[in-house]
Amino acid sequence: MTIEFKLPDVGEGVADGEIVQWLVSAGDRVKEHQAVVEVMTDKATVEIPSPADGQISALLAEAGDVVPVGSVIFTLETEGGATVAEPALAAASASGGTAVASAPPAAPPAIKTTTGKVLAVPSARRVARDLGVDLDRVAGSGRHGVVRRADVEAFHSSGAAPASAAPTPAPIQGSGGETRTPFRGVRRKIAEAMVRSAFTAPHFTVIEEVDVTDLVALRGRAKALGAAEGVKVTYMPFIMKATALCLARFPMLNGTLDEETNELVNFHYSNLGIATDTPNGLLVPVIKAVEQKGVLALARELAELAERTRAGKVKPDELVGSTFSITNAGNIGGIMATPIINFPDIAILGVHRLMKKPGVVAGPDGDRIEVRQYMNFSISVDHRLADGADGARFLAYFRTLLEDPGLLSL
Amino acid sequence: MTLAVNISTNDPFQILAPDGSVVGDLPQLSEAELVDILRGMLRVRCIDDRMLKLQRAGRIGFVGSAMGQEATMIGSAVALLPQDWLWSGLREGGAAIMRGLPLDEYVAQMFCNANDTAKGRQMCNHFQHKGSHYPSWSSVIGTQIPHGVGAAFAARQRGLDEVHVIFFGDGASSSNGFHSGLNFAGVWKAPCVFVLVHNGWAISVSSRNQTAANSYSAKGTAYGVEGREVDGNCALACYQALKEATDSARRGAGPQLVVLNTYRMGGHSSSDDPSKYRDEAEVDEWRDKDPIERMTRFLEARGSLAAGAVDELRDELFMELDTVIRTQEAAPRMSWRTLVEDVYADVPPHLRQQYNQFLITQEKYGEASPSDGAFPL
Repeated sequence: MTIEFKLPDVGEGVADGEIVQWLVSAGDRVKEHQAVVEVMTDKATVEIPSPADGQISALLAEAGDVVPVGSVIFTLETEGGATVAEPALAAASASGGTAVASAPPAAPPAIKTTTGKVLAVPSARRVARDLGVDLDRVAGSGRHGVVRRADVEAFHSSGAAPASAAPTPAPIQGSGGETRTPFRGVRRKIAEAMVRSAFTAPHFTVIEEVDVTDLVALRGRAKALGAAEGVKVTYMPFIMKATALCLARFPMLNGTLDEETNELVNFHYSNLGIATDTPNGLLVPVIKAVEQKGVLALARELAELAERTRAGKVKPDELVGSTFSITNAGNIGGIMATPIINFPDIAILGVHRLMKKPGVVAGPDGDRIEVRQYMNFSISVDHRLADGADGARFLAYFRTLLEDPGLLSL
Repeated sequence: MTLAVNISTNDPFQILAPDGSVVGDLPQLSEAELVDILRGMLRVRCIDDRMLKLQRAGRIGFVGSAMGQEATMIGSAVALLPQDWLWSGLREGGAAIMRGLPLDEYVAQMFCNANDTAKGRQMCNHFQHKGSHYPSWSSVIGTQIPHGVGAAFAARQRGLDEVHVIFFGDGASSSNGFHSGLNFAGVWKAPCVFVLVHNGWAISVSSRNQTAANSYSAKGTAYGVEGREVDGNCALACYQALKEATDSARRGAGPQLVVLNTYRMGGHSSSDDPSKYRDEAEVDEWRDKDPIERMTRFLEARGSLAAGAVDELRDELFMELDTVIRTQEAAPRMSWRTLVEDVYADVPPHLRQQYNQFLITQEKYGEASPSDGAFPL
């Protein structure tokens, strides 16, 4: 007989497990209790043994796959029919020896409704559909001749030919079809990180508009200077510099919660995670000790790190250890966003699109309208560890620095 | 990673050294009784091995292995008289077998099938056996301590010659039940014995983090209960210590706190991964103190056991066990009707109604068991 081995719940309440490695191949003979596969769950990595002697006929998952508890992961061919079957089935088939309520031979024909539909319980309809049994031909043993599930099964096992061996209907599709991609790898890691952050840290976001006209001019000059040294100077190093100065002033936003010791940790340095869009998905490489570095040095390091990150050559230790993160969606579009914190950081800064707008400028002769350049900045903060006023103060000081970028050298 | 033990065990009472040599006075036990102790320990290990494999294959739901602690339960069980009671902590199923719990009832409880005397109302691996005075386990830590003390006090009030031996782990020594239980027992001089199985870890809490006391046996002092440290991997020391403690309790001299120092070689249960919190080096250290190897060496050295006979014994025990597993795995499920039975003499209308509704729901979703008829409403 064939045993379809379903991944069991090996802990109390485990939902799924990752196949770490197969210890056998299809075609191998195995003994009962022999280890077949190593599975990692939330709780432990365990070896799953074979339920019986036999031959492995197929392995139905690959190393790295995350499979839900209850899905068949391998099939086993055992000799004869007497060996241990799937436990639940064995128990059920042996239960009590009471006869299955099969339809009596002289049962009245099925009763139809006025619309000609056979009366049957829903589970009987489902089973009939699965087994390809025509309900019209099944005698019902229920009250008023209602067809029960057992009637359908008895009818099917009595060898009566399926009336219409209807194949399982194909799923309904639109004209365009669909693409299904295994949910794993970087995408799955991002999903897990986002869920952990969003459901652990209650987020709030503060958004500020900053007049960056002077910064645009300064960056223009710096760009020319950098080009001479072969360094591409973007707005990001200025933003990083301003961020490090702000974090020194508002350390409650530069830290993490050490849940093991129940201590709030505030860092005296700024390691900035820079969210980077790569062909493989979102990665956050970290530039360390930003407070000690000048704008040009940051520009050089950033360009180099971003390039390696996009090329997939970034080292794992360069992707951890941020104390605060910055995400830049501005070069793509969007006037504002509510970023999700790069957990376990306390906060994240969002950088949004640079745009020209009419602005009010105070002059010696009073206010006047000028064409100015603006950028929006957002900061999302873990409200467990800091409050709205902290986020607002951070952005106010940040604005002061970027509106008068000479202050960045302070 | 932390190591479990930094509290003193005050030169625990020992009869066999880890190499099997005799370092104390041998108890008055016949050759057959000595071999029986080895067989009992070996059976526990065979059961644990099989049960963990059944659990990993999804054939039973849960198991807590006693690997490494076999001497504590088997040595102690042999010291008890048939009229005595054994209140279990959470790994003394082997003691119950030793005192009369049939192996098929034990395995039926693991499958929670129709032969399970707890009728599937206990988690699997939580035994009970009326015949050998073995009350059902509680997963709640330490609750059995005041229960056992109360039962011991009641036994004396009723003029019965019973000693109640109450097992619990090192973690339970921090529970309320421990303190109230020891206090009452000390005051009443109740005919009971407290057996603290110190296996180093209360799930992931090491003894280092469990108590600031110098030793677990010192914890009895506050209640006027004499404490004693015993090598829990020496089956003969466990036997002798329990013999003396039960004798003394039977004489009316009051309870003792016997600390059996051992080590939990596996995880707390099938849901636990000890590599997450403890150092493998610590486990290796205890591997050299294995209670079964110690007893085997002792019996071989004195000629009570032929060389290699232990392997035959193991094969025999596995064969006996596998036959029982085959039978119990094929046994019918516990009848659904038991869901509503046993609380009232007759199942009252509201429970009948609920149960019949339950059957209809099952029918709808295709899980109804054909042998279970509806209650006539």
